[in-house]
Amino acid sequence: MKDIVEISSKLVERALSEGFDEAATIIRRNKRTMVKIANSEPSVIQHWTTTEVDLYLVKDKRIIVVSLEPSSLDEVNKSIKELLAMAKNIRESPLYAPLPEPETIQPIPEMVDKKILESTEDPSKLAELIIETAHRETKVDYVAGMIDLTYGEKALATSKNARLYEDSTSLQSYLRAFSGEDGSGQWAVGLRKLDTRKLEEMASIAARYAVESRNRVEIEPGKYDLILSPMVFGNLLDLIGWMSSAFTIFMGASIFMKNKPGDKVASSKLTIIDDPRNPELPGSTAFDDEGINTYSKPIIENGVLKTILHNTKTATKAKTKTTGNAGWIVPQPWNLVVTPGDYKLDELIAEVKRGILVTNNWYTRLQNYVEGLFSTITRDALFLIENGKISKPVAKLRIADKLPRLLSNVEALGKEVYDIWWWEVRIPTKTPYILVRDVHTSKHTV
Amino acid sequence: MGVVGLEYEDLVLYAVDYARNLGAKYAEARHHKKTGFEVFSRNGVVLGAGKIISEGIGVRVLVDGALGFSSANKLDKESIRNIVERAFIQAKAHSKLMKKPIEFADARVGRATYGVVEKKPFDRVSIDEKLKLHEEFWKAASGSVKEAKVAVFFAEYIESIEEKIVANSDGAFIRSRIPRIRIEYNLVVDHPQKGTLQRFEEYGASGGIEWLYEWKISEELEKNTKKYEEVLLKAKEPPKEEIDVIVGSEVVGLIVHESCGHPSEADRILGREAAQAGKSFIKPGMLGERIGNENATVIDDPTIPGSYGFYLYDDEGVPARPRYLYREGIIYEHLHNRWTAKIYGVESNAAARAMDYKSEPIIRMANTYLKPGDYSFEELIEDIKKGVYIKSYMEWNIDDIRWSQRYVGLEAYLIENGELKVYVRNPVLELTTKAFYSKIDALGKELRFYAGTCGKGEPAQGVPVWFGGPDVRLRKIRLGVAPR
Repeated sequence: MKDIVEISSKLVERALSEGFDEAATIIRRNKRTMVKIANSEPSVIQHWTTTEVDLYLVKDKRIIVVSLEPSSLDEVNKSIKELLAMAKNIRESPLYAPLPEPETIQPIPEMVDKKILESTEDPSKLAELIIETAHRETKVDYVAGMIDLTYGEKALATSKNARLYEDSTSLQSYLRAFSGEDGSGQWAVGLRKLDTRKLEEMASIAARYAVESRNRVEIEPGKYDLILSPMVFGNLLDLIGWMSSAFTIFMGASIFMKNKPGDKVASSKLTIIDDPRNPELPGSTAFDDEGINTYSKPIIENGVLKTILHNTKTATKAKTKTTGNAGWIVPQPWNLVVTPGDYKLDELIAEVKRGILVTNNWYTRLQNYVEGLFSTITRDALFLIENGKISKPVAKLRIADKLPRLLSNVEALGKEVYDIWWWEVRIPTKTPYILVRDVHTSKHTV
Repeated sequence: MGVVGLEYEDLVLYAVDYARNLGAKYAEARHHKKTGFEVFSRNGVVLGAGKIISEGIGVRVLVDGALGFSSANKLDKESIRNIVERAFIQAKAHSKLMKKPIEFADARVGRATYGVVEKKPFDRVSIDEKLKLHEEFWKAASGSVKEAKVAVFFAEYIESIEEKIVANSDGAFIRSRIPRIRIEYNLVVDHPQKGTLQRFEEYGASGGIEWLYEWKISEELEKNTKKYEEVLLKAKEPPKEEIDVIVGSEVVGLIVHESCGHPSEADRILGREAAQAGKSFIKPGMLGERIGNENATVIDDPTIPGSYGFYLYDDEGVPARPRYLYREGIIYEHLHNRWTAKIYGVESNAAARAMDYKSEPIIRMANTYLKPGDYSFEELIEDIKKGVYIKSYMEWNIDDIRWSQRYVGLEAYLIENGELKVYVRNPVLELTTKAFYSKIDALGKELRFYAGTCGKGEPAQGVPVWFGGPDVRLRKIRLGVAPR
């Protein structure tokens, strides 16, 4: 048994002996190094060694969730005592359901890559590699971005006798390249294993888009067919992923609030999978926070809403089964994967009479989460498509539409998929370029 | 703070000394503890409670022109030595990649202890009373609608205390303690034929329970939910022609945060956030240029008592003061830390803040507001023949150089001949930074503040801020309309 499993286990025992009816503990221990890059040089090198202790405690169906980054275990023990007094004063939770019986967990092989582990000691070569790769495009003036390497351990203990451990490595990197007066391009990658080719590919795409998007022209906003890059669709998928959590629906922040599984919610060409056992994506995990085996499941399959993500609590309330997505309170997606189509990017472009290829966006905000009324502002390279061909780089616009309509207007999907993970795509995502018909865009009027 | 505090004082000073002995040109250490308690509920029913404790030490060093940061929450000498060495070694390893070595400007750093004293500390109120708040809010909101219903009312009550000891190799030594209180909710008003209307709102301040009496949230909810029902049932499309617009203080606050505060962050101007939140339309050398008319004065002031973004010394030990970012329409001063101050040849104006022990201090706003004028609300609207008053918003965004922005009104009214008439549905104010600051034609006299959590950095750091201003009048604006 690893030491953090033992500590988790002791904390659970301690909570029970203090008088709690049920308890669970997750300890996450991370070693993490990040090089942040600006103006083609490191702006800061950050390293963390952290131990985070999360406690789930129940007394008479009253729920307390505790997040601790304690300076010592004594502090955790002291907290448990205080929390019991607190628990007696709060109310029975309508969300309460007993923790599930433990399962035999099927581990995911090859979650740890020694090369990443080693690189956390000195990532300067990798930082140099991505900067240098982008500058191979001689018209690139400077780049910004980051590379983040993590070795993480996770231990779970529950009062139902689950005792689980998992360790993994991950790598996140993104780069934004600038060229000339107005050219810029950005790309990202999220991996479990160090793959310098993928880092180079990421840097090259950013550099190429920067150079190709120089000398942008203004265009009028209106309805356009849009080809959304994996960066852009990944950002919207983040929202869709969270909106498919039963808790998000419960708290009134989801377009699926008035839907049931079986409802048609998107174009029949669209399939979105929560894919926790995909070993390539950094959100993968063999067990959820309640100690249940994770499994792959479609959230949307051929346009039909298939699965709402549940933990035992939300599942009990909805009279269904957990989907292995706990979060003790909030069920969460692990990795989001879009089933690819069979178009090459050129072929997607050929499908468009008048439209825009959107390579990046940020700042997506909603007027109404239930209706899905939103806008997001594009950034970096944008290309006008006329008569099936890219005609010129254009200046930024907003995408301002309704999410349900956008999902219904998905027309075609690329065959090549990209692993995206960055600031604006928080859930690791694998998706192709996607063509969406008739999307509203807008722009400042003055 | 007793013996425990003293121990951490020693560790912080030890970290600074140890880093200097290793050869760091500059060293800084911060013991940073945050404790919090929260209760969350849905439709008045408490779902659970949460407790948060985060405590550790973060260390930052400057070595051969490269900056290293490291942190740990194991607080003994060995652990602190490890993180200092880590920060040192990694900064050194990356110094070979530096084209322009990082330097810090000299600063008159402080040695001080300060804190915010709650008028009514959190522990003077029983948990039961904190739970009852949720029931009260729910009753106020759900009881005020007639035809529609409140489908969801999700609320959170959060109290927290942030304690810091900051020391650096230039002699700074600052201890601080800041308690904060925050309430947020998500309200969904639903009607079977008309659909839904949604409102998020956040209240926040430094201090204690006394703020609840100030905010009177139940009263506000009762009044406002009724209005939201009417907006949902009755609102009309906004006019399509050019009109005058009264931008309510809530929207003004957000606008100055987004289009003055952020682009005035000197690290952003210098490209340090280029791959994350982006750059700035303000370029080096643009100080003194005009961005608006004489009504455009935006101040960022960390020292406002009771404010959510309150502090007296920043995390580099520099004393805080009000900063005039735009002054009478001129780009006047940026937000600086000691690195950007060096490049600009000025003194830092104390904008370096870190979210927690795991975070490097970076340039942040504190409390940003548009300077008010002397108009009453009636005077602002009295000569408007046709216009729209946008009181609150939900959707907004701004581009990554902080130039093109969009705000979608939630509670909004048609103005005709100097009077508020019917509600207007989802009016879209989409304009450039220069257009906003150039078109302010009159300023209300009442300054109001709103609370928010501002995000920036990598890893992203959220810090508490206020933003505010008066109601303002803009002339000749063409509003858009959100897609149906």
